[in-house]
Amino acid sequence: MTMLLIGLLLLLVAGTGTAVALSRRPLRQVMAMSANGVALALLFMALQAPDVAFAEIAVGAAALPLLFLVVLASVRMDRNPQGARNE
Amino acid sequence: MSPRPRPERRIAFAIRLRLALFALAGLCALGGALHVAGRMPAFGAHPLPYGDEINRRGVPERHVTNMVSAVNFDYRGFDTLGEEFMLLCAVTGVTVLLRGTRGEARSAQPGRVEGRPILPRSEATVLLSRVLAPLILMFGLYVALHAMTTPGGGFQGGVIAATGTLLFFAGDGYRGWRRLIRSGAMDACEGSGASLYALCGFASMALGLPFLENVLPLGTPGDLFSGGLMLVENAGVALAVGGGFVVLFIEFLEETRVEPPEEAPGDAPGHATGDAPDGARS
Amino acid sequence: MSATSSAAHWASLLPWLVAIWLFAIGLYGIVTSRNFVHLIGCLSVVQASTYVLLLAAGYRFGGVAPIYYTHKPGTPAVDPVLQALVLTDVVVGATVSALLLALVLQLHKRRGELDPEKLRPMQQ
Repeated sequence: MTMLLIGLLLLLVAGTGTAVALSRRPLRQVMAMSANGVALALLFMALQAPDVAFAEIAVGAAALPLLFLVVLASVRMDRNPQGARNE
Repeated sequence: MSPRPRPERRIAFAIRLRLALFALAGLCALGGALHVAGRMPAFGAHPLPYGDEINRRGVPERHVTNMVSAVNFDYRGFDTLGEEFMLLCAVTGVTVLLRGTRGEARSAQPGRVEGRPILPRSEATVLLSRVLAPLILMFGLYVALHAMTTPGGGFQGGVIAATGTLLFFAGDGYRGWRRLIRSGAMDACEGSGASLYALCGFASMALGLPFLENVLPLGTPGDLFSGGLMLVENAGVALAVGGGFVVLFIEFLEETRVEPPEEAPGDAPGHATGDAPDGARS
Repeated sequence: MSATSSAAHWASLLPWLVAIWLFAIGLYGIVTSRNFVHLIGCLSVVQASTYVLLLAAGYRFGGVAPIYYTHKPGTPAVDPVLQALVLTDVVVGATVSALLLALVLQLHKRRGELDPEKLRPMQQ
């Protein structure tokens, strides 16, 4: 039973990891990265590692996707050639 | 000044060449990888000598019940010192890179993207964020404090609390968030956390013992304040990780603001030009 | 009997195969990437493969988490050393990804382009 759960979660992690690598559009990739973080945290819980699951949930599902989204937003703003942002 | 752009077909050829080389290297490595995977010890059924040794000795020797914290802060405490300073270096690198180009001025005007309307914030978002943000901060504090007894520790509590402050950003906008989170305070938080960890090591050396030797009274296992010097190290790690992540968020979110207009020396940066909620059309 | 034992044999290979697959697909994403932000996301997949490998190596059937708050000391538990390694790795890996993102942001400010193929240093 535990082996079945671990096996399913491993396949889920492999699936979301493939989705992250194969999504060409950055916004879609950020959502896949968030799903990958949650799947990894569930796998860590099944492998009896609650400390690591704590850190992975907060980092992989919230903090890191936010940083990616902010970079994508900042890249889409108008910039004049010296790098200063236009109003 | 910039180089002449490459034609598309040369790019496609370069990508195909690189993919062919990757496939070749992958096939060679795959044989070796599968061979190793076949010879790996059976999953879940092989002896764990170091793990068993630490599990057997951890509670009587160190008087803590969380073995992962005991390994992180005591048995392998020196590695965690290295990790702390890796974190400090990465955050310093981000700050130098981003603040160096942008300057020290702060601004509260959001940047614009062509053709994208700025929608006002919904009341459900504001209510949920205002209710949940203090709860998550408290949860992060709880996780960080329970390092020695139940699953938790400085790393986890620090990231949970840092991510919790983002709900202030979601609910009250950039101005509300910045009013609460002072950049100077977060810099001090992170630096003091990392130096607290290093000072723990030097405190042991000052007493003539090896670096990071546990010198404080160990307490009883299962008590919140057990573990001796591990508690101080845990506090250092929580401060450093929490402060570091909030500094990262501040630096990145500042990148989405526009430059403040050239102002007379009497103006202070970042003051509201009105009471409009952040994101309304100016 | 042999069917179940060979199934069990394949099942016990699954964690290592998933780790190899994640590494390979992440590397493939890096090799064929046309956007630097996408590249950093694929790097985080490669990092995830190492977490899976380490934690699977430390697992024991029927073992509990190495927290002795409710269990008596002496119950068979999983390996805490590998968990400590992965714990610090997760947090520091996120910070290093943030540093890479800052570099990408600076690159975009200077050159206005996020495509690795179009950003070659010197060409005549």
